[in-house]
Amino acid sequence: MKRRDFLTRGGASLLVLHPALSRLQPVSAEPWLLVPMDDTQADHLKAYGLTFRVLQRGGRAEWFLNYRSGAFLVPGDAINRRDAALAGVSIEPLDDDRLAQIRGEIQDGNMDAVPLEKAPKVAVYVPPNAPPWDDAVTMALNYAGVSFEKVWDAEVLGATLKNYDWLHLHHEDFTGQYSKFFLNYAGAPWLVDMVEQNRAMAQRMGFPSVPEEKRAVAVAIADYVRRGGFVFAMCTATETLDLALASEGADIAAAYADGTPMDPNASARMRWDRTLAFQDAQLELSPTVPVYSDIDGHQVNSAERRQPLGSFTLFNFSAKIDPVATMLVQNHRQVIPDFYGLTTSFTRKTLKPSITVLAEEPAAPWVKYIHGEHGQGTWTFFGGHDPEDPQHQIGDVPTDLSLHPHSPGYRLILNNVLFPAAKKKELKT
Amino acid sequence: MRIATVLTMALVSLPLAAAAQQEPMAKAFDLERRGDYAGAAEAYRKVLQVKPADAAALLGLERVLLPTNRSREILPLAQAASASNPSGDVFYGVLLRAWAAADQPDSMRAVALRWARAMPDNEAPYREWGAAALLRRDRPGALEAYASGRERLRRPDALAAEMAQLAVADADFPTAVREWVQAIRLLPGYRATALATLGQAPQPLRPEVLRQLAQERGLAARRLEAELRVRWGDPAGGFEVLREALPEERVESVQALRDFLDLLQPLRSGAALAAQGRTLEAMASRMSGAEGARLRLRAAQVYGEAGDREAARRMLAGLMDDRNSPSGLSAGAGATLITILIGEGKLAEAQQRLAEFQPKLGGGVVVQLRRRLVAGWLQAGELARADSALAADSTVEGLALRGRIRLYQGDLAGASEAFRAAGPFAGNLREATERAILLGLLQSIEADTLPALGRSLWKLHQGDSAGAAARLERVAEELPAPKGGAELRLLAGRIWSALGKSGDAERLLRAAAGPDAPGTAPAAELALADLMIRQGRHDSAVAQLEHLILTYPHSVLVPQARRALDQARGAVPRT
Repeated sequence: MKRRDFLTRGGASLLVLHPALSRLQPVSAEPWLLVPMDDTQADHLKAYGLTFRVLQRGGRAEWFLNYRSGAFLVPGDAINRRDAALAGVSIEPLDDDRLAQIRGEIQDGNMDAVPLEKAPKVAVYVPPNAPPWDDAVTMALNYAGVSFEKVWDAEVLGATLKNYDWLHLHHEDFTGQYSKFFLNYAGAPWLVDMVEQNRAMAQRMGFPSVPEEKRAVAVAIADYVRRGGFVFAMCTATETLDLALASEGADIAAAYADGTPMDPNASARMRWDRTLAFQDAQLELSPTVPVYSDIDGHQVNSAERRQPLGSFTLFNFSAKIDPVATMLVQNHRQVIPDFYGLTTSFTRKTLKPSITVLAEEPAAPWVKYIHGEHGQGTWTFFGGHDPEDPQHQIGDVPTDLSLHPHSPGYRLILNNVLFPAAKKKELKT
Repeated sequence: MRIATVLTMALVSLPLAAAAQQEPMAKAFDLERRGDYAGAAEAYRKVLQVKPADAAALLGLERVLLPTNRSREILPLAQAASASNPSGDVFYGVLLRAWAAADQPDSMRAVALRWARAMPDNEAPYREWGAAALLRRDRPGALEAYASGRERLRRPDALAAEMAQLAVADADFPTAVREWVQAIRLLPGYRATALATLGQAPQPLRPEVLRQLAQERGLAARRLEAELRVRWGDPAGGFEVLREALPEERVESVQALRDFLDLLQPLRSGAALAAQGRTLEAMASRMSGAEGARLRLRAAQVYGEAGDREAARRMLAGLMDDRNSPSGLSAGAGATLITILIGEGKLAEAQQRLAEFQPKLGGGVVVQLRRRLVAGWLQAGELARADSALAADSTVEGLALRGRIRLYQGDLAGASEAFRAAGPFAGNLREATERAILLGLLQSIEADTLPALGRSLWKLHQGDSAGAAARLERVAEELPAPKGGAELRLLAGRIWSALGKSGDAERLLRAAAGPDAPGTAPAAELALADLMIRQGRHDSAVAQLEHLILTYPHSVLVPQARRALDQARGAVPRT
């Protein structure tokens, strides 16, 4: 959906939101709850879950973009108060006068009130046996209390994605090379499981190899976006999704994955017109180096090319003109410490010109957080694996988000989950 | 006059010319230091225009072109430098890297071979050729360079370290082992790098790496094998490998043992400490005089830490009474022996030895040993002897021990006073937390003395948890809920819960969670929920925790309850 359309529809819905909320509100001196998202909030991450559950129960909410770092407004009924108390989310009861005052402030500044209408149906693309603590988005959704369903290759290729509003890609390797850990971790039980599971799935779905099957999955995901879906991807899913999309007709997989060595001229054969975000990347030819291409700026698994972590800065957008980008960067911190992943960042030279950069490391040749449109849908890519585990080594203890309730990095993930709730029209047309 | 003028002019112009050359170099260095790489490149170029074979300027230019991704621009200048000074080694290296940046592997090979002809016995041309190939991420090219060097130099061990690192990068550990052993034989300084790189071998490949190392002959291979075993969690095995390979020659064997000890020292597991003890003992057996005695003492201390008291005693034998030992050493041996005696529960003998050695020991050591002795008497239930041994120790550590003694004697007022005086700084964090919990318990009880409670808590101190819980429950029955009854039930419930007696635990915790003791109820509800989570009764735990959070919203335990709620719901990992 174009931003212009979004604004028109969003503005119209704002006008009708008050009667809708009025119907739900109890008779009370303070019929509203403001969920502040600035430093007064006791649990930023659970505040998203609170708002999501309001929508899930059929209620309405509003997102006050740039007001107190992206506050939410929900009805002040007993259920919501109880939910906030149990979750430890800070709330501020409001009467109508105070709410009108806030709306006035929003009207006068670079702020906007975006109605949230419907809890998006969320799917996470994840292998069936993946532990729940293996993926930042799954952790964020579990912690915040946002319900989701799991899908994997059979569901994606079986065309069930149309049942979901929002799809997150677990840190999958869509080039079908098992994160290029095949040689360095040969024999490790988790790798053996991963290989067996993927080979069995490829066979079950009728593909000659895992890379072929994963490419078909990538194409189905891109098609889901084209038809109006939202895709959010982190870590290596970002880079490999595009590499898989561009690789039709080019063998980009090592011999251990598909039985034939990688085409030494694969870089030249890539079809960048098929990708979502990247273009003109150079592929890594060595099967033993767990690096895919020069899309990633940090090259964490290459001893010679690895770049140190810095911090990234969120861009400011005009809330009234560019609400989509504004929603995605709502945060109580503007500068956030960086964190590694198999793909940590995206080099500027490989970005397509049409994409929107949401966060960058100033003066570095890479950016961190990007967004774009594809057909009728949108996608967001966020580099790195786990915002609260900057190094993220295999075998590290899982991140416990109750120890990081204010994580600004995780907030960016959850912005993406609520973003589809702001859409005004059914997406899958 | 004219001749004098010309001569003067010439003498003046020589240093001026040198200064003129010096100045652009200084300017180039300065620009480089300030990060102005484009400016520095221009300055270096100017120097090279005047002096094409100026090695410092050429290397400087190479440095500043690299970060600006313009490395290939150096090519014509490197060619010019090489042409003007064909015997200059440094230019070959720059030229090689320039051809690498220009992505011209054939030219790289040609330069390397030309360089090799100029220096027929040297590994450098092949090493630089390989390094330049690696700059292009061309591992086969690097392998070709090293193999070519090995063939032309007619030395099968030439460039072994480079070959080994290449093999590690390709996860070819068998080759890496073979090459590293050759490299270390030539240059033992490579051992640390070999250890670091081979140490990265994935778990499944490690037995094969060790098997292959075992087939290699010589001390170098044995030392590498022993150190890898330590790194991979088998310090005892590592020591055995090393011990069997130690040569007769004393200096070499002591050096090998010392390096092995350095590797073990950061490790604190029992097996690692035992291996440290054996290494120190082996070193001591090769040393005489004061150094040998010092090593025996260190071995005794480490054996003591590892719990091997017999070995510790063996090391100490003779040290204490040896008139030739330095006095510090015999005092150290005495202190170690007393520690061992306390550990063995021979408290009377330890006390006697402490009295004997006291004049030789430093004041701080005596205080430490006395506290250990007091702790020993406390553990044995000899409260009067503990009190007597503690004497007039008025430090915070001493006060904390005195609080324990009073507590177990049932003198609750005395215990509270001593614990308060000790404050939070005595002992480690766990001990300080325990004291705070005990103080909280005592504050809820009105009585100044309660011998039955003292005996119950001493049972707990001794490790008789079941006996303590049963006694605590009986004491609780005598006290009103808000005046200590609920707190004691909570403690007893927690003990039963830790012992796996879920039924008794739940009964007591529910009793402690009653509304008549609101100060205790949140903690009891939390403990109850924890018990339910461990039993897999997640729905009951969720209900209990929700009740806690909503009923006692201002309790300090609410954040902990929310975390437990997250765990019960599976929203965060259980830790």
